[in-house]
Amino acid sequence: MSTLTPFDTQISAIAEEVFAAMIDGEPGHLVALPDGAPLTDPVYAWVDMHAGVTGRALLATDVATAHDLARALLQMGADEPVGEADLVDAFGEVANVVGGNLKALLPVQGTLTLPQVGRERPDLSGATQVDAVALMWRGQPLDITVWQI
Amino acid sequence: MLRVVVADDSRVMRQIVVRTLRQAGYDWDITEAVDGAEAFQIARAEQPDLVLSDWNMPNMTGIDLLRALRAAGDDVPFGFVTSEGSPEMREQADAAGALFLVAKPFTAESFREVIEPVLA
Repeated sequence: MSTLTPFDTQISAIAEEVFAAMIDGEPGHLVALPDGAPLTDPVYAWVDMHAGVTGRALLATDVATAHDLARALLQMGADEPVGEADLVDAFGEVANVVGGNLKALLPVQGTLTLPQVGRERPDLSGATQVDAVALMWRGQPLDITVWQI
Repeated sequence: MLRVVVADDSRVMRQIVVRTLRQAGYDWDITEAVDGAEAFQIARAEQPDLVLSDWNMPNMTGIDLLRALRAAGDDVPFGFVTSEGSPEMREQADAAGALFLVAKPFTAESFREVIEPVLA
């Protein structure tokens, strides 16, 4: 049976590039958070990679941070309200781009699912965690984990 | 003014693509499509100068859109803007008749690099 090899530092590198190009317009706003930080009101976004082995790239952050991500992506004002559809679209698209770039690193190519977003962590019973990266975007925690499912 | 179709199931990403095209200096007449099926209908009806399409979309994927256009005898210039820029996908895109594939995340400069040769 094939196994997913850890992406290690490539996850941070990809995430930093995605945030610099798509969200912030400049590098330096997404940084490592070595000890991590708990999420108080989490929202999750994920895509699955089917490429010889099935993996899942799962992003988690607080709802308020996801709202800020949507505002940044849509160039909205700091106090402008973010609708649920825009939150789902924006955070899902961040997961899609991060997951797509990770999938491109796999030795066997396959398919990438459309992104999913939810307030509940997706069921990962029986899955194996391959990577875990704790990051901080503009002072707020954002976690990326990769799972073999 | 060039007429361009931007197809992506994400409204956020369509907005980013349109914004980045403007930052790259392309003040085009842009029509947005929410998936490949809608992009096919628009492209056949309006005969745009360029189609920029995501790959992974519901209803009709980007590669199926390109193949359907070519099967219909439509040779509209076509480029992918996708989060999956693997060599295999680039080969598939090339074989189906795409002019280029831009991987997300992209910049105004990466758009200019692939679009300028098309306009030349």
